[in-house]
Amino acid sequence: MKTMRQAAALVKGLARMLAILLLVLLGSTVLVRFAPGYLSDAREMDSRYAGAARAELSAEAARSQSLAQMFASEIGGWARGDAGLSRQYGVPVFELIRPRLAVTGGLLLRSLVLAWVLAIVASLVSSAGRNPSLFWQTPATLLLAVPTAAMATLCLLANYGGPALVMALLLAARDFKFLHRTLRKAWLDPHVLQARAQGIATPRLLLKHILPGIASQLAALASLSMVTALSALVPVEVIFNVPGLGQLAWNAAMNRDLPVLLAITMIMALAVTCAGIAPDRPAELESA
Amino acid sequence: MRLFPVFSICGTALLAASLANTCTSQSAPRMPGELAWTIAYDPKTFDPAKVDDQESERVRYLTAGVLLRFNRSTQKVEPRLAESWSLSQDGKTIVFKLRAGLQFSDGSSLTSRDAVWSIRRVLLPATGAPAAEEFVTPAGVTVETPDATTVVVRLPQRVVGIGKVFDEIAIEPAERPSEGRVTSGPFVVADYRRSQYVRLRPNSHFAGRDAAGNPLPYASGVRLDVLENAEQKVRLFERGEYDLIDNIPPDYFELLKRRSPSSVQDLGPSLNTEQIWFNQAPGAPIPAWEKSWFESRAFRVAVSQAIHRADLARIAYQGHATPAYSFISPANGEWYNRQISAPHTDVAAAKAGLASAGFHLNGAVLEDSAGHPVKFSILTNASNAARLKMATLIQQDLAALGMQVNVVPLDFPALIERLMHTQDYEACLLGLENVDPDPNAMMNIWLSNSPNHQWNPSEKTPATEWEAEIDREMNRQATSLKESERKQAADRVQQIVADQQPFIYLVYPNVLFALSPRLKGVEPAVLEPALVWNVESLRIEGSR
Amino acid sequence: MKLNRPAAWLLIALILAAGVVTAMPGASYSHQDRESTLAGASTQHPAGTDALGRDRLVRVSAALLLSLAGALAASIVTTAAAAGVGTLAAFGPSSFGWTAMLVCDAFLALPWLFLLMMIRSALPLTTSPASSAAITFLVLAALGWPACARAVYRGTLSLKDSEWLLYARAEGLRRGQIVRSVIPNLIPLLVPQFLICVPAFVIAEANLGALGLGIGEPLPSWGGMLLELDNSAMLIETGWVYFPVALLVVILLLLEAATVEA
Repeated sequence: MKTMRQAAALVKGLARMLAILLLVLLGSTVLVRFAPGYLSDAREMDSRYAGAARAELSAEAARSQSLAQMFASEIGGWARGDAGLSRQYGVPVFELIRPRLAVTGGLLLRSLVLAWVLAIVASLVSSAGRNPSLFWQTPATLLLAVPTAAMATLCLLANYGGPALVMALLLAARDFKFLHRTLRKAWLDPHVLQARAQGIATPRLLLKHILPGIASQLAALASLSMVTALSALVPVEVIFNVPGLGQLAWNAAMNRDLPVLLAITMIMALAVTCAGIAPDRPAELESA
Repeated sequence: MRLFPVFSICGTALLAASLANTCTSQSAPRMPGELAWTIAYDPKTFDPAKVDDQESERVRYLTAGVLLRFNRSTQKVEPRLAESWSLSQDGKTIVFKLRAGLQFSDGSSLTSRDAVWSIRRVLLPATGAPAAEEFVTPAGVTVETPDATTVVVRLPQRVVGIGKVFDEIAIEPAERPSEGRVTSGPFVVADYRRSQYVRLRPNSHFAGRDAAGNPLPYASGVRLDVLENAEQKVRLFERGEYDLIDNIPPDYFELLKRRSPSSVQDLGPSLNTEQIWFNQAPGAPIPAWEKSWFESRAFRVAVSQAIHRADLARIAYQGHATPAYSFISPANGEWYNRQISAPHTDVAAAKAGLASAGFHLNGAVLEDSAGHPVKFSILTNASNAARLKMATLIQQDLAALGMQVNVVPLDFPALIERLMHTQDYEACLLGLENVDPDPNAMMNIWLSNSPNHQWNPSEKTPATEWEAEIDREMNRQATSLKESERKQAADRVQQIVADQQPFIYLVYPNVLFALSPRLKGVEPAVLEPALVWNVESLRIEGSR
Repeated sequence: MKLNRPAAWLLIALILAAGVVTAMPGASYSHQDRESTLAGASTQHPAGTDALGRDRLVRVSAALLLSLAGALAASIVTTAAAAGVGTLAAFGPSSFGWTAMLVCDAFLALPWLFLLMMIRSALPLTTSPASSAAITFLVLAALGWPACARAVYRGTLSLKDSEWLLYARAEGLRRGQIVRSVIPNLIPLLVPQFLICVPAFVIAEANLGALGLGIGEPLPSWGGMLLELDNSAMLIETGWVYFPVALLVVILLLLEAATVEA
């Protein structure tokens, strides 16, 4: 019976993922196609290049005349595993994305790991101690108040640090705000107070008494953290000129490169869905 | 467990240190003797015949071998692969005499057959080469080669400045187009990593020689990094990663000037202009009373007189710009006319002019004769900080007249859509880049039936008498054979524009650049590419 | 959750001070003193002037009132919407929860940049800067809730299965009462989210300026002043450039302190 339930959950999960991908595909197409500037090119202003630009634009206009036609070609293409040609570069979209996946994946991993380590250490120390939390809140608040571009400039000026550090600091500041409150509250829980009064050592206290209580909140925070990381990726990569998916996404957005944008939003949708799957399953299985 | 905080903080710091120092420059390390600078975006193509954007054109300039080169410094056409050339009296026949012993970068010999093939390929409609349009009627052009060193080009009609057109036609091996991998110019495309860099290596068979007879180019290579962020460019330039920054923004210019004054130069006004114009298209989706304001000469002249151009140059460009009153800048020695009388800053005259046109002040708000408050928006592109500052300064200048101005920055594609397709705007503040000092290159702006006739694109017939006169004079300068007559026509156009103010010129931004002291041989020019037009003679000190 | 008295009073005092500075006769956030641009502190301009010669103190005060009001309102709306959707999805029928989270996930991945561009092109060009600011914060509030909604949903789900709630349901508490007793447990999730949203919206408003939305000139935009920090040429000009970010940190710390639980 359990395997059947697990299989049903798996099928449900896959169906959900497909539904999300389809929604994202259709939604992105509508958004990009009808946003201003889809059929304009900066080269139209320059008389040397205007003719070539107008020819390209009229070809694109013919291709994207009806929404239904666009949807059909996109879905058909994706079903075959063909994401089309980039409007900017004229090369297959997957060829553009493949080398950048590794770069972005590595950056995400490094920054998430560092962010969580920083946040956990800082919040453990800040919530347990009797020091006023202002001492710990100030750097976290400062990190939230300073724009990413300014942090990048400071890194460049100090000649230290890069995209991983900036992203890790951003995420750590956010995580810290949540963790600090959660842990502060957890330290003051009746059963924890009793355990402390009984003289139980701190590590055991943390593992056996506090952690189980906040496990669900940690899981929720993990998915929130992943989503924040994905959205912080674009400005960080653009400013630091990292050849990853975020930079590609930004260039594609500025140049209205629909095939590339579709591919990247689908990847993001996948990442967001996966970030939410893990904590979901135990709860769903238990309540099934 | 009091030590726990200490241990964890130390551990975290170590982890942070190991993860943090990810290098910000992801390009390959500098090679000795290699020149390096940045380009704003990936070149769209390396095929010299299909170049239709700025950065591809830069790469073509550096790698292509051409029959004639337009010397950016002397502004004269010089023979390159051709030993000599001649233009017939009626301007319809051009004869090139190729040098002997020319070779491509792969060692194969370059003869007139290759030149003819390359020119014919550019003229073919299937290639879609933008250079073909410069021939005006490319279909009627014939190319022959009576012998291995002579090329004869026959045009169906005379083309002004035909010599400059051959500056854009790269001579490639016949039947073997190579997208820049086999060239007859100083450099050859060696490596390209998308969104990272383009690497060029020197052409060992390049025909160019310096005055002492030594082979050119001096440099052992060129690296063009794809980088747009000005902050990073300046930082990496100071670290020695780049040898020059072209078109450095004024605030970074001042920054570098403070740190190393000898590395930056301000050459004075460029050929480019910044201007504001009002939408005069009859089909524009704006209220009829607004159209009547914008079509009123008195209104445009009053706006022009209310703007304090000196403040714009001083504040928005930190002094690195010159007030502008016409589309021909003082840097354009041959065509500049000091005698053009244009409206200068005079707020009292502006108010008087508006009053005589039926506008009146209602409290602090200016209203037209029908009682509509004068309220309009100025569009500009968001990525240009100087333009945003100018728009805000102009907002205050026009507030002195009682006009309420909205500054609306937009991203470029949305801006272009409004300007060129929907005409859904009221006023626009943009700049025009002039790469060619000859006014003939501006035909597309001034001819009323052109889609680039910004204030009223693609007119079927000129809407006003003065636009008709501009059409006549521009056609006169395009067809006239006498230079003095051409100059007269250009002067007349300048005076009409100054009288009618369809474009209200604001400033000429100055030519600002930074050069590394190790880079030798640079002779800055006013035309693009201003710093590397003589790339074959540039070298890094201490690398010869 | 009690409001911490001293912090709250300090915050109100700051806001009143900003109001006084802006309302003083002769104070103008848009008047350009073109002879003294990027000037240091003086009797005429206590906090110096910006690049166009406008008084920085008056601009920061006006920006505080404008951006803070907008960002606070937008953050409250976003957090409330997230809480509402999350709890409804968790306590409603499971199919509703499934669909709601599906929409949230899809929402998070869509490129909303283009919707913002469409909104800009739908607005008339002569929209006043104040209306444009209001619309911007409204749009930010409308786009910000899915991220937190998922976290609230998961948090509520696990709370649903916790022991004390089982006891409560066994004792016959109605759904409405259960929801009301669940919400206080969500505060550790909602309040930090709210506090994070405030500076995020301030900065986002400035970034939207590149699309034509945001707070238009000549109204001062706090996010715009923060973005000045990314230009090292500006950082070297004058130390007053750090004034807006310092003030923002102070305000956020006061907000944090004011919402601390007893």
